[in-house]
Amino acid sequence: MSSIVTTTVSERRIPVLPERGRISWFELALLAISLALVVSGIAPSLRDVILLSFLFAGLALAWNIAGGYAGLISFGHSAFFGVGAYTSTILLTRYGISPWIGIWAGAVIAALFGAVLALICARLRGPFFILSTLAFAEVVRIIALNWASLTGGPEGLSIPPMSSLSGMVFASKETYAALMLGYLVFVYAITKGLEASRYGYYLFAIRDNEDAASAAGVNPLLGRGLAMALSAALTGIGGSLFAQYFLYLDPTYVISPELSFQFALLPAVGGLGTAIGPVLGSFLITPLSELLRSYLGNAAAGLHLVIYSFGLIIVMLYFPAGLAGALNKFKRRRPTP
Amino acid sequence: MSTFIQLVLSGVLIGSVYALMSIGLTLIFGVLRIVNFAHGEFLMIAMYGAWAISQLFGLNPYVAAIAIVPAMFLFGAIVYRLVVSPALDKPHLVVVFATMALSIFLQNAALMAMTADLRDIPPIFGRSLTIGPIYLKVELLLGFLITILCTVALQWMIKKTYLGKAIRATVQDGEAAMLMGIPVPRIFLITFAGGSALVGLAACVMLPLFSVFPSVGLNFVLIAFVIVVLGGMGSIEGALFGGICVGVMQSLSSYYIAPAFGQLFFFVLFLLVMIFRPNGLLGQQGAATVGMNE
Repeated sequence: MSSIVTTTVSERRIPVLPERGRISWFELALLAISLALVVSGIAPSLRDVILLSFLFAGLALAWNIAGGYAGLISFGHSAFFGVGAYTSTILLTRYGISPWIGIWAGAVIAALFGAVLALICARLRGPFFILSTLAFAEVVRIIALNWASLTGGPEGLSIPPMSSLSGMVFASKETYAALMLGYLVFVYAITKGLEASRYGYYLFAIRDNEDAASAAGVNPLLGRGLAMALSAALTGIGGSLFAQYFLYLDPTYVISPELSFQFALLPAVGGLGTAIGPVLGSFLITPLSELLRSYLGNAAAGLHLVIYSFGLIIVMLYFPAGLAGALNKFKRRRPTP
Repeated sequence: MSTFIQLVLSGVLIGSVYALMSIGLTLIFGVLRIVNFAHGEFLMIAMYGAWAISQLFGLNPYVAAIAIVPAMFLFGAIVYRLVVSPALDKPHLVVVFATMALSIFLQNAALMAMTADLRDIPPIFGRSLTIGPIYLKVELLLGFLITILCTVALQWMIKKTYLGKAIRATVQDGEAAMLMGIPVPRIFLITFAGGSALVGLAACVMLPLFSVFPSVGLNFVLIAFVIVVLGGMGSIEGALFGGICVGVMQSLSSYYIAPAFGQLFFFVLFLLVMIFRPNGLLGQQGAATVGMNE
């Protein structure tokens, strides 16, 4: 009700807090802070953390398209991440094709994988869907580990660390930070566009009540397939960027249940099915886990993950709507104009 | 031919041990309609417990089960109270993430306490049993017998006792059961703790066969999921059937194809079952397509 009133009264005003399909002051401020962080030379030890926060925010947003908007809770997204990373890296190291092109090839192949997964899981719901995505990623992981002639097997693949623009390898971390922020803004723009589009509403309908959506003329299979393919493609792009930054693909990390959980947990902590939620989740959790790792990692193996996972349990049990949910409560308390 | 028989037999035996590990998972799923992602870590903790008892008191794990099973029951009850029950009335993702975070928590707590070293116990029985050309590990045979006994006892309990009837009533219709005076929250608690106790028993059976290390649960939990889905979520005899299927397939495929692809085989099989028989081979009707706990 109130949202209808505000949009008709002040059509051109930019809302203060995030709203579906509209850019808010909050989001612009966040972008300005991020840009300032990239441009100004902040402490070198924090640059890694900031850059990874951008990358994982983008990946969390990509996951959120399937998990948050279409209700396809996938724990297999590291497969798409790995497919993207391997595609661009193999194209670069074997055939000398620039990652600027290879990334898109990776996105296309990851999208195909996403569509296949959606097709496999077309009839499955709830835990069955989750477990199938997990199994799907395991299949991809085992193939990647054993198809050594293509993927380098357990040794992984290395990218020559010579900095060049066409090879997408940079000497300065600021350039990488700008690249990751660019990725984040790209995925964010797609998410915002999706929220306002007809197709976005199809997805909400499928998520909230598939039978009703189907009766209203929405094709659930097509909707789910496209959402998974789009989400997979964006995740694959993130995988390629990850490979270009670390210059090494560790097959036990890039396709792993742990990484898949990470993609799902960031939106869960930030707020599922919102655009700002995954970003907030990543900005909170990625630095936290990186700092815990660097400060406590040496003190006792595993201590940082003990603290991190304990915090996660508390957040899940007491703030199930995530940080975006907390923001929304704040919004609702404001008197409506 | 004798190689084939040997492989099938070993497969059946190891599969029954996998089944024992999966029964707790399928029981909890069937009653509470949740997937406990920390199931593998429960197994890991119990294996460490049995290992510690064998180190401290020199008892073999089969005897240690007398202490481990009640301890795991208690542990399950505590986890239920602290983590699972507060998540039950929230969106179903909450319980997924909460148990997943619990799994990371337990794994790393074990890493801190026990380091990443592999721990195992000295062999209990010196040699294998030989029947003609067939060799069978005594530990595997014992595991098989314990699994069969356990399955029969559980079936009897579910069919005949008051608790079993209350559990079945809760599965059929939780609200109606509540109205009939069945304390559904307590049934949930007992099921979760009971499932954990069964994992404790499985750990005691598995310790003589496998080493224990902090992330050992991850290896087994994926197998357990495959078994539970193959047998139909929530079905005890299904878990036994699924476990034996998986054991035989693992044993045959790692001999005739390649050991590395044994695991690949499970997951492809799992996906095939999901595509063509999403309710499992012996499963409840419509479980996978209706979407539980939503």
